[in-house]
Amino acid sequence: MLSRVAENLFWLGRYLERAENIARMARVEHEVSLESGQEIWHSLVSTTASNQLFWNNLAESPDLTHSEFLIFSMDNPASLRSTLVRARELARGLREHISREVWEEINALYLYLALRKQYIASDIHEFCTETQRRTQTILGLYDNTVLRDEGREWFRCGMYLERADMTSRIIDAKYHILLPGGDSIGGPFDRFQWMAVLRSASAREAYRRMGNNEVDGLLVAELLVFSQEFPRSLAFCVQALLRHFQQATVLTPRRRRAAAERGVTLLHLDIGARDMEQLIEDGLHEFIDFFQQRLIDIDRAITDDIFRAEPGAGQSQRMATMDSG
Amino acid sequence: MTNALLDGYSDDGAVYDEMFDDAGAFRDDYRELGEQLARWSLDDHLQREERADLALLSAGITFNVYSEEEGTERIFPFSLIPRIVGAQEWARIEAGLTQRLQALNLFLLDIYGSRRIIKEHVVPEEIVLSSPGFQPEMKGFRPPLDIYAHIAGCDLVRDEQQGMVVLEDNLRTPSGVSYVLENRAVMLRVVPDLFPRWGVRAVADYPNQLMSMLLSVRPSDSNDPPRAVLLTPGLYNSAYFEHSFLSNQMGIPLVEGSDLTVGDDDVVYLRSTTGLERVDVIYRRIDDDFLDPEVYRTDSMLGVPGLMRAYRRGHVTLVNAPGAGVADDKVVYRWVPEIIRFYLDEDPILPNVETFSALIDSELDHIRAHARDLVIKPANASGGYGVLIGAQASESELEDTLAQVEAEPRNWIAQPLLEFSTIPTFDDDLLKPRRSDLRPFVLSGQDTWVIPGGLTRVALREGSYVVNSSQGGGSKDTWVLNEEPD
Repeated sequence: MLSRVAENLFWLGRYLERAENIARMARVEHEVSLESGQEIWHSLVSTTASNQLFWNNLAESPDLTHSEFLIFSMDNPASLRSTLVRARELARGLREHISREVWEEINALYLYLALRKQYIASDIHEFCTETQRRTQTILGLYDNTVLRDEGREWFRCGMYLERADMTSRIIDAKYHILLPGGDSIGGPFDRFQWMAVLRSASAREAYRRMGNNEVDGLLVAELLVFSQEFPRSLAFCVQALLRHFQQATVLTPRRRRAAAERGVTLLHLDIGARDMEQLIEDGLHEFIDFFQQRLIDIDRAITDDIFRAEPGAGQSQRMATMDSG
Repeated sequence: MTNALLDGYSDDGAVYDEMFDDAGAFRDDYRELGEQLARWSLDDHLQREERADLALLSAGITFNVYSEEEGTERIFPFSLIPRIVGAQEWARIEAGLTQRLQALNLFLLDIYGSRRIIKEHVVPEEIVLSSPGFQPEMKGFRPPLDIYAHIAGCDLVRDEQQGMVVLEDNLRTPSGVSYVLENRAVMLRVVPDLFPRWGVRAVADYPNQLMSMLLSVRPSDSNDPPRAVLLTPGLYNSAYFEHSFLSNQMGIPLVEGSDLTVGDDDVVYLRSTTGLERVDVIYRRIDDDFLDPEVYRTDSMLGVPGLMRAYRRGHVTLVNAPGAGVADDKVVYRWVPEIIRFYLDEDPILPNVETFSALIDSELDHIRAHARDLVIKPANASGGYGVLIGAQASESELEDTLAQVEAEPRNWIAQPLLEFSTIPTFDDDLLKPRRSDLRPFVLSGQDTWVIPGGLTRVALREGSYVVNSSQGGGSKDTWVLNEEPD
């Protein structure tokens, strides 16, 4: 498969997953801030790592709200709208690799977004719900209409890598309320917050169905990090990433895939060897830092060694011989 | 007929109309369509037009407009009333285009070979050598099957006296065929009730024919099976949708210059996740000048360094061949009837528009004397840019253009203003006569194949002669009628 195409499919998977996550988190954040009467959007802006940019933009347009910046602003490369515009741009260049159904749905989402000239705060809920529904439709269509070839594996790699990253950000933003001690006394407001974390990760029903009667910060964290069944947990995402990476690189020469494969495998083993008690001991925040750094290393190895590897001078000769042989 | 849609049709009879004769009755080929249309109310029409536009927009069937920043993608305006071509007339067009492309390919082989047509003084040497499309690198090179212009789009218009005439040939990277296929798909969905009893010739075979043609011109030492790719300038090219569409239809990789590399062995390779893979045939949608920065424009980021080396050594085939553009030069066009007679010893089946070259003294005199009756065109521009219509120009515009013609006679031609035919087209909820042309696509490989129909373009402004999409033209489906069974 063409390297550029593989890389773009990988990023299409990342952007679509990212958009779905931002829309979901924003919707929950919106409801929580309405109900609690507390403006907590700023924590979401820091979850998507663009605090400094927000303050810079605020200096230029004093009316800018956190929610507009997070959802609508094209000056914020991590905003929902920017993410979807980039996903659609990639998809436009990948039309011969995705099905017509997938393309039309991505394009429809883009048109839905692009037709809005102005940000209207009261539309946040509709906007986020609709985006979330449509991105999930796209991911479902992708699974059911696109050829299961190498490209689809790269798309999945991007999707799971991004999902692992987003879930880790959700945990990181709230780790102080999930762990016992400090302000946490397990009162109604804590439970309310823990529920919000679960909803941010689409995990509320999963949490209940796994037999947890009490809403408890530690159990929430455990689900989001270790669950083998919940499809957004860190452990689940890393395992899926490993599987799809191996599928994608069946034909890739060993020297090109070695670094990334080692990275994913070690991360998978590392999570498997830990448990919740140890996480508390070592520090949840420190673990999330470590986890995110590993994801960055994996992404870099895939990009440098597989997508953008420069063939050596002698390589074309060798490949030519292999082809004719 | 008594109908809100058709009654108001203001065809004053001055210009040949494809649908109505001078008495305002349906022409034979359009009768069935007309009777069906007469059942439509204005609302029927509006609803269907809206559905068609929505289908095109949501499918992303758009072209890019270079001059605009925001909303740079637009749909090509689509008009529901098709152009209809009867079976017999089509047979003549098909034969005429086949003949024309065979002659033009022989001409290209000759001028990059022994130049018989120049030595025998049929075509002036200076015209060939001074053509911007002429590529000296191609001298003495014979591409597979001796084909240069594998894919051609010939623009036809109907002149009341002469019938269908060829207005120009496009032999470099003619575009528009994706709209032919997509327009048909939309028509089948949106106006199934308009299709005639005996059906129309299907166009969907084009990608298959194109693929067979590409494989037929593979190099002698190619992979088995050969690997073809489509080379695009990228996402921001105005025809990107078409590049993506065609590669998808053929199932071949859509590549950019940076996806390809030429090895020390002068073989073209594709950069894949598993290593390098040999490429045999390149359907390139980038201009000659950008193909290879080692040979042509050194600043080209679109091409592939070493591509011409690989091509000249016969390790890869370029479709169309570099240098094919010399045969669609608007000045060379003036000699196409002579070219057909010279190589095929036949009279042209489809006539040319009478053309005057400013390079020939007697013809320049004619241009000066009859400028008001002529259309004066720059020889090497496309998209309808720089064209002066004598009858509509101001005195100073006319003088300016004539001064340019005399200063650079090689660069200008003139033709009589063709009152080419109109087709009813909706404008402001009313049917209005709008001028249109027809671009059938011709594939030349082992055999010559003409798509049944082609892209019908319409001028959307009243009285306009310009049908180019970049200047606000629209398109229609083209129906070549099946023969009625006896």
